[in-house]
Amino acid sequence: MFSKKKRLLGDNPPLKSTYDAVIIGGGLHGLATAYFLATRHGMTNVAVIEKRFIGFGAAGRNTAIVRANQRTQENLPLYKEALDLWPVLTKELDFNLMFYNCGNLNLAHSEAAVKAMRLQVASAQFHGIESHLVDPQQCKELVPALDITDKPRYPIYGGMYHPPGGIVRHDAVVWGLAKGAAKRGVHIHQGTAVTGINVENGKVASVDTDKGKIHTSRVLNAAGGYSAALSYDFLGIRLPISVLTIQAMVTQPLKPLLHHVVSSGMYHCYANQTLKGEIATGAHMDAWPNYTTQNTAHYIKHQAEALTEFLPCLKGIKFMRCWAGLADMTPDMAPIMDGNDQVEGYYMDCGWGYFGFKSSTVTGKYMAEFMATGEYPEILKPFTLRRFKEHRLMGETAALVSYSADN
Amino acid sequence: MALTITCPICGKRNGYEFRYGGEDKGPRPDEAGLTPEDWCDYAHMNNCVAGVQKEWWCHRDGCGSWFTICRDTTTNLEVAEPAASAEAEAK
Repeated sequence: MFSKKKRLLGDNPPLKSTYDAVIIGGGLHGLATAYFLATRHGMTNVAVIEKRFIGFGAAGRNTAIVRANQRTQENLPLYKEALDLWPVLTKELDFNLMFYNCGNLNLAHSEAAVKAMRLQVASAQFHGIESHLVDPQQCKELVPALDITDKPRYPIYGGMYHPPGGIVRHDAVVWGLAKGAAKRGVHIHQGTAVTGINVENGKVASVDTDKGKIHTSRVLNAAGGYSAALSYDFLGIRLPISVLTIQAMVTQPLKPLLHHVVSSGMYHCYANQTLKGEIATGAHMDAWPNYTTQNTAHYIKHQAEALTEFLPCLKGIKFMRCWAGLADMTPDMAPIMDGNDQVEGYYMDCGWGYFGFKSSTVTGKYMAEFMATGEYPEILKPFTLRRFKEHRLMGETAALVSYSADN
Repeated sequence: MALTITCPICGKRNGYEFRYGGEDKGPRPDEAGLTPEDWCDYAHMNNCVAGVQKEWWCHRDGCGSWFTICRDTTTNLEVAEPAASAEAEAK
């Protein structure tokens, strides 16, 4: 049933000895970049090399939430464009991505959190993104099941309502982009592992895979949770990344009760109700780096406690399934999108932590532009790896939570 | 398979009692003549090993001591220090 190769796209195309670009990782960032290279820049001699099968990693493990209510000036325009792309791509790919813009409600559990949200709302509005500060009563009107009394350990002081956000069917995005790219000639090699990157005179010359060598002058590292390990193993480039397991779970199906995505930074809990009726919810990350994608009883318990604190009607409901994925966290909770720096022709798109899904399509668009033209797009420049050496960390760590080890 | 950590003072305990302290990057660099690049390298950059790595831990909810262990990041299992085990094999 879960064969390594025959997932959706059938047999692999023959591996050519030369491609104009090689993309490591058949996740959403890799597939989106391949799709935009083919459709926007006419680069169709492109290979996507995926060790397992497309969508195996974080592309299919995230909780499918999309939003554009981040905190910093650098991040907001990127996520806004990402949000605007879903309806465009649904049409263009001729594939129902099941974009459901039900809106996101972020809860505040202290005066300080309300104050922080005031700034976040103002920043979003400055960029033309709809976002409102709401009081507890308005929270209750949006989600009647919320407990807005002073009974919970952290009572609700208010919230931030962001109507354009919502959820997108993550697997559909994988399938849509993969089919769209393959139709235009991109080769997607599943069950194929990249084993090395060869550099000659400071330029990318070829990529080794377990199926043979590929000559190419451009390679994109879009390997998600494994991008930092590959970067170090292949090129000796160390990245400011900690790879942590993040856990998620769904409850048994229920009648519709959660009409918006609800999240709480204080409880560290976010939840949405799928069209099947399940409450899909995500938890903390493990506090130590690991590549296990294991769930732990610790977080299933935490999640049950957190959810039933502000949605008491969920008491007694059962979790049906749980899973975990990898989040490659940076110290400033912002990604690294860079290229042609230490090695000419080596591009990287990593450090997305747990924001990689909502940003995948827009990142693919700009990384494709970067790789096709060699010009660093303006919108990506703040996300250079050099910001760490220049001590220009971004302020996306809204809740003073740093997931790097040196926190 | 949850994580357990062996504290040199308290013994093998549940991993959630501990605080991870980062990859073992050797001694803190000398501040004299330290460049921002070198400091950034020490403070932020990681090898992100998918396999065995030597790392710092603190027994936060126990005795409070700091120590290093070797752990396989793909299984969460503590392992013997690679050099030490090679030495033992040689004997």
